[in-house]
This record gives sequence, C-alpha cells and structure tokens, in this order.
Amino acid sequence: MKFGPKSTVVAVLTAAALALTACGGGGGGGGNAGAPATTLTIGQLQDLVSFEPTDAHIGHTMPYYQAVYDTLIRRAPDGTLEPMVAESWTYNAENTVLTLKLRTDVTFTDGTKLDAEGVKANLDHFKKTQGRDAYQVASMDSVAVVDPTTVAITLNAPDPAFTYYLSLAAGLVASPKALGTEGIKTTPDGSGPYELDTKNTVKGSQYVFTKRADYWNKDLQKFDKITMKFLADATARTNALVSGQVDATLLDPKTGKQAESAGMTLTSSQVDWAGLLLVDREGKINPELGDVKVRQAINHAFDRKTILTQQLLDEGTPTDQVFGPESGAYLPDLDNSYPYDPAKAKALLAEAGYAKGFTLKLPSIVGFEAILAVIQQQLGDIGIKVQIETIPQANFVPDVAGGKYSAFYFQLYQAEPWVAINQMISTSALYNPFKSTTPELQTMLDAVQNGGEKSAEEAKAVNKYVTENAWFAPFYRINQMYFTNKKITVEPQLQQAIPSIYNYAPAK
Amino acid sequence: MVTFILRKVASGIVVLAAISFLTYFLLYYSSANIARSILGEFATPEQVAAKEIELGLDQPLLPRFFGWAGNALSGDLGTSWFNSEPVARALMTRLPITLTVVVVSIIFIAIIATALGMAAAVKRGWIDRVVQGAAVVGDAIPSFVMAIILVTLLAIQWQLFPATSSIAPDSGSAAWVASLTLPVLAIVINGVTSAAQQIRSAVIKQLEKDYVRTLRSRGISEREILFKHVLRSAAPAGLTVLSLQFIGMLGGVVIIEQIFALPGMGALAVTSTTMGDIPLVMGVVIYTVIIVIIVNLLVDLINGWLNPKVRVS
Repeated sequence: MKFGPKSTVVAVLTAAALALTACGGGGGGGGNAGAPATTLTIGQLQDLVSFEPTDAHIGHTMPYYQAVYDTLIRRAPDGTLEPMVAESWTYNAENTVLTLKLRTDVTFTDGTKLDAEGVKANLDHFKKTQGRDAYQVASMDSVAVVDPTTVAITLNAPDPAFTYYLSLAAGLVASPKALGTEGIKTTPDGSGPYELDTKNTVKGSQYVFTKRADYWNKDLQKFDKITMKFLADATARTNALVSGQVDATLLDPKTGKQAESAGMTLTSSQVDWAGLLLVDREGKINPELGDVKVRQAINHAFDRKTILTQQLLDEGTPTDQVFGPESGAYLPDLDNSYPYDPAKAKALLAEAGYAKGFTLKLPSIVGFEAILAVIQQQLGDIGIKVQIETIPQANFVPDVAGGKYSAFYFQLYQAEPWVAINQMISTSALYNPFKSTTPELQTMLDAVQNGGEKSAEEAKAVNKYVTENAWFAPFYRINQMYFTNKKITVEPQLQQAIPSIYNYAPAK
Repeated sequence: MVTFILRKVASGIVVLAAISFLTYFLLYYSSANIARSILGEFATPEQVAAKEIELGLDQPLLPRFFGWAGNALSGDLGTSWFNSEPVARALMTRLPITLTVVVVSIIFIAIIATALGMAAAVKRGWIDRVVQGAAVVGDAIPSFVMAIILVTLLAIQWQLFPATSSIAPDSGSAAWVASLTLPVLAIVINGVTSAAQQIRSAVIKQLEKDYVRTLRSRGISEREILFKHVLRSAAPAGLTVLSLQFIGMLGGVVIIEQIFALPGMGALAVTSTTMGDIPLVMGVVIYTVIIVIIVNLLVDLINGWLNPKVRVS
C-alpha cells in the first residue's frame, strides 16, 4: 500500500472538488440577474427570543415581528404615523382617551377575524404579561370595546409617545386564540404580510417568511420570501454580504470600509448618541459631581472631534446635547456649549474648590475598553483620576440603573422627546438613578407631557436645561452604517438602527 | 477489560459531578442580576423579586445545585431562562453541527498527519524539513486567522463556497458539505502540522529501537516493519495528541462557528454564558464533559488494543 503525502493531497483535492460540484447554487450569486428580486435576505445582529408579542423588544429584533404581525399604527420611514390595523385614531380634548377605528378586512393566519375584542385582548395581555417593553403601556389604564370596530384606550395621564408605542411592540396584534400559549412562541399567529415557514426555520440561525396569499395590503408585500439570518459576528455579516448570501445588513466603520470597496450601497443614519451620563447630580457618591461647575468642567475636557476620528473613523457627528436633530427638541446652538478647553476645565474645577482634582469610578464592559481608556486620559489631563471597574455585561444596566456608579459611559438611542425624557431625564427614568430634578425642570417636563401636538417644541427648554446644567457629557452621534447590495433598495427608518421591513424594495 | 472500562466510567462520573458543581458554583456568584436581565430594563423591583423566586434564585447555593442535579439525573436539564426553549432540544439541534466539524476535522488530521509524519520519519530529507517548518507555521497561525484568509479567497474572491453557513433543515448533504468545508479546512491546516510533528518523532524513536534492527535482520520487508510494528508502537503517542486536539477543538471551535455563523454549540455557549442563562450553560458543560470522557475512554481502549502493555497499568 502506497500512502505517501502525494496521494493524500490528491484525496483532499478530490473531496474538495466533490464539495464544489455539490454546492452549486449554495454560494448564492452576487450578480444582478436582471429581473427584480423576489426574495430578500437580511443579516440580523440579534436572535429572536420568541414570537410571543410580549417578548418583542424595540431595536434589532423588531423585523422578525413586523414580518408576521401587523401593528395598530405604522410608522413611516420619516417618523410620521400612518394607519395600519387602525384606520384612524383621535384623542379627546384632555389627551387621555385614544379612540381607534379598526379595519374590517384583517384576518390572522388561523382564520380568526380581527375585531375590537381581539385588539383589547392583545393590549390587556401586553399590559398583564409585563414583557420587556411593558413600559410602553405604563400609562394605559383600561381598554374598552365601543363597537366591533372601535376601541377606546383610557390613559392615566397624557402620554405624547403612546401612539408611537402603538407602532412598536405594544401595537403588535396576534390572534386572541394564540395569545399566551406555548405554541405562539415558535409558531406566530398574526395578521402580518408574511407567515413563518416553520419547516425551513432554525432557531438561532435563520427564519424564513413567505408572502401571505390573502393579506389586506399588497403594497407591503414587496417580496415573495424574506429570510432573516442571525449573524452575531461583524466579520461574518461582512462576508455574507460581500459574497451575496445576504442582501442587507448593519456593519461598523471598520467592516463598512470592506463592504464599500466591494461596491455595496451605504445607507447612513444617526440613531444613538454616545457619551457620559453624569448621573450623581445630587453628589451622593461623588460630592464633586453635585457641583454644576465640575460637570461642566468634565464637558470641556473632551476633544470630541479627535475621539470620533480615533474611535469611529469619523463616522459620526460631535455633539454637546442628547436630543437628536430629528427629535424636534434639537437646538443647533447648543452644540457650541462645551468646546475642548482643558485650561477652562481646570479653572472650573478650581472655582468649585477641587483644584487638586478627585477620583471618579466608571464601570466598563467588554467592548468599552478603548473608549474608556480615552476618557481616563482626557479626564486625567484636567486632574480627575478615573478608576475603571470591569463588570459582567449582564450586570451593567442593573448596576448603573441601581445607582452603583456616579457616572458611566453608554450609548443610548435618540428617541422622541417624551421617550428620551422617560429614558434619562424624568424622576422615573431608568437612567436617572438618583432621581435628580428641580422644580424648574419639573415644570418644563409637565409642559412636554401635556403639550399634545406641541410637546416636541416644549422639549427644547428641557434640552437647554440639561445641556446647560451638564447632566451629561455627550461625545457624538454615531452613524449607523447599513449596507445593501444592488439587488434591493432600502430607506432608513428614523431613530432605528435597522430599517423596518416595509422599507425594503427590489431594485428596479 | 470489563473492570478497566468500569473503572474509567466511574472516574468519569466523579469528574462529571465535580465539574458540574464547580461550574454551578462559579455561575452562582455571577447570577445576581439575572432576573433583571430577563425581565428587561423597565421591570419593577417587585416583578424582579417574583421572578427570582420563580427561578429559585433566592435559594442558597447547595439546595439550588442539588435541585438542578436531581432533575438532571432524571434526564431533565430544564428550559432556557431567556427563551424558554428546552435545554435538551437546544443542544440536540446544535450538537450535530459542532460534532460534525470536530469529528470530520480530527479524521482528516489523523489521516494526513500520519501520512506526513511517517513520510518525514522514514524518508527524512526535504519532506522532513517541510513538515518541521510547517509545524512552526501551522502552530503560529491560529485557525480563526486561517478561516478569515480562506473565506476571503475561496468564498468572496472565487465564490466557491458559501461565506457563512447555509445549513437549513431542508438542505441536503450538499449544503452541509459546502458549509463545513472551509471551517474544517481551517481547523485541519492548523492542527495537522503539530500532529504530524508528534507522529514523526514517535516513529523515529521506534525506528531506532533494537527490535526494528532484529526484524530487518530476519529479512522482513520494510513495509511490513513500518505498518505492522513501528506504526503500532508509535500509535499511542499520535492518539494522545489527537485526543488532546479533539478536546481543545471543542473549545476552539467557538470562534470558528462565529466566523462562519454555524449554529453549533459554540454560539450557544457564548450567548448563554454572557446572558447568565444557567440551565443552558450547565447543559453545554454537561454535554461537553460527557463527550470528553467518552473520547478519553475510546482512546484508552484503542491504546490498550494496540499495545497490551498499557492494559496492565
């Protein structure tokens, strides 16, 4: 028997050749076949928890739900709210009762027809289950069936964001028969434009959706089939996109360069701001942070432009405020509040009586190392000694929201003013752990809450207040880099890192 | 022989119990915020407290561990805390992929490394120098770097293989072969050289032994000496290297699975550990330890079969 290296090489090559001939279309052609695409494959950053609507969570997992469920209200890419299952809606004069008029031609995959009772069942279930996004119905007091196509939702206080929430998790409608069952977790039962092809779906890997035959709005069914592949790793997403395995996916500045050079189309939008939240404004852990001058000094310590270049290869915009340009509360002038000025920062610290500086403890998790090193160095330059404490990822939000740290670095999405306020400014906000407030600020917040149509305008005062009082030390807004190939087009969705599924279309 | 196996199995069970407890012990101290993570940022303290009671997180370490161990012994590994998927089912859909990658890789490594190692040992000269040089290079380039190079060349430039896994329930063996070729290739290139190096030295050592000289003097053909006697005596060293590589691969394949988006155990281990999904982490650990024990047992048995001296000790 001859079994030298040569024959081994031959054997391996033969095996590889066999594999090649067998894989055929496995690679998925990268070229444009000419005819408009009938399928869409999206590379997703996060896996789905389950198809139960109460497990839905704003952000990267929403497209899974949008494929199979309708929402009461649909949010257009520019942020305007449009009819979906609810044909129209009106508030009473006090903004406390929202009346929804429903479509009559909506059916679920199990054949059940959607009616007011079904919508009530969904909203009640969402409130009772207290899932991840239950905060969206926190202001909801009760739901009443007025007639088979009308529901009236009573709020315990005006909530300018409530209709927006009805375009998100809180607005998902599933068949009342399936709500709360074990079955719905793996087999969704919705009225959405697509239905799940359970046979070809593998949890943790890929989800396949096929067009529903009797859907009420053909305009939302631009593809025959949508596949969502869960690709946690940025390199895997880049490779999948460049080789034609997926048509669209979110990348980062570094992997984005690779996709751009491969001729992929970039759709850039800004969703998150990144920076420090100086939460200990009462001075409970760090008495120094109780002084506004110290917080302002911290703001002057950062060379935002250089940090942006180093950290994100300039994919972003430096900013001094936490409200985004599309929020309605944005004030362009505020971005000149805290130019990089270490001398001024030191002077402010001295004025506050901390000429010798002080020690500040910041939590870090995997992925924050580089930015925290920069923060440590820049604050060190003005005499603030930063102590970095690395904690498990799962502990980060509970710890910072539980008031374990006086300040922390984070990225938060720039939401509608009322959502942003309830995220980090109001006394009940998760990221206001020390419940900082003043009577002056509270008056402004009340004006936003009761402002109805004008609430975004009212939020400008809030923005000015928290910026001038240096509640935060924002660095920049981050460019979300969404890439698509030539077979499809996509419109970015306001305030979303990834587009809603309605925003994709075959390239013409 | 039976007592040998029984003794091995018994020690395996002790190891399994010890590792289970150790893992549980370590997870216990990082499980403070799990209920909060499951319920989300906006849950009230009351909801968090209720969830902790539901999951038994309010219990001290020992009752919790024995509760889990009791269920595990009766075959119930529980369900994932985050997505309520039964742990056994989550593992059974993922294990075949990881095992396929690892087993196929190890078979290729075994065949190629034996051929290369023997060729280097017998012929010496340039083959030997190539094997020696390649061992350094192969060790120096980690399999994930090799994986990225392979993807860039074979999947993106030449479009010969899918860049990430295309394994789906309806896909036949073609998709499996296509999806697994690059990951296996990356692992084999990384692993084969060091195994060949080990086999080379083991064979050289045997060739220098007196019995080889005796066999030669009796006129037995070189081929017979090599395959019937030398390879058999050198095999234990090779097997040990391969079994160590196999066990190392179970951990190393985590990164390979990420790069190729293979829905195997690796991704499951990473996500469940970062989230603190204790039932799932324990499931992964148990399955992995069992596989390691079985592999070690098999290696011992094969060694015993090849070399009777081992059986005595």
